[in-house]
Amino acid sequence: MEIDGNMFGAIDIAVSGLKAYGKQMEVVSSNIANARTTDAGDGQPYRRLEAIFKAKEDGASGVEISELVRDMGDFQKILANPGDPRADADGYISMPNVQLPVELINLNIASRAYQANAAILKRYQKMVESSLELLK
Amino acid sequence: MAVNFNPDVSSIFPNIEAGKAADSTEAKVNFGKAIAKSLNKVNELHDKADASIVELLSGKSQDINSVVASVAKADMSFKLLVGVRDKLVAAYKETMKMQI
Repeated sequence: MEIDGNMFGAIDIAVSGLKAYGKQMEVVSSNIANARTTDAGDGQPYRRLEAIFKAKEDGASGVEISELVRDMGDFQKILANPGDPRADADGYISMPNVQLPVELINLNIASRAYQANAAILKRYQKMVESSLELLK
Repeated sequence: MAVNFNPDVSSIFPNIEAGKAADSTEAKVNFGKAIAKSLNKVNELHDKADASIVELLSGKSQDINSVVASVAKADMSFKLLVGVRDKLVAAYKETMKMQI
């Protein structure tokens, strides 16, 4: 394991965190927007997406989203209105396996983590500035 | 974007090691060259920051975070350069004030 002695190492890492959590926010918003999508293009209800975070390299490194995976959990079944063409023989409709409370917690996590990375960026700049103060 | 700005001048001063005076018979150390080199690097970082801002504003890219990163790097390296310059000018003035 190595730590990059580069002056900009911390900036790159913090920015990679910002990017990753920005993407995570995208995933959460897709899940929320499609919470009642019964046709995700393949005739199946929408399956919620989950972002997989991966360290960019061994040691101190940034983060990236390596892939988006679909949640293969069961769809929710809700009782259809009478006459709904999407209803099955028993009168039920399959709804996406998105649970809004879970997504809202994920939203909170993503936005807090985004803030944390932004705080690191800011603080690191301050640290470097205080080093440069010593030159004076 | 990986920009490696390295304030280490040992590559430019091959005959200076920590705690060891330069060998005067070796090639003469050119401080001006070192400054010019780091100036070029700072300039390069500024150009990159400039380019990323233009790309963002022209709609070519929508990656605000990369802009933030490149601007932060340009800002930090510029501050370092200004710090070194101020010190240099102060040293020059100090030398000129010396009684002969």
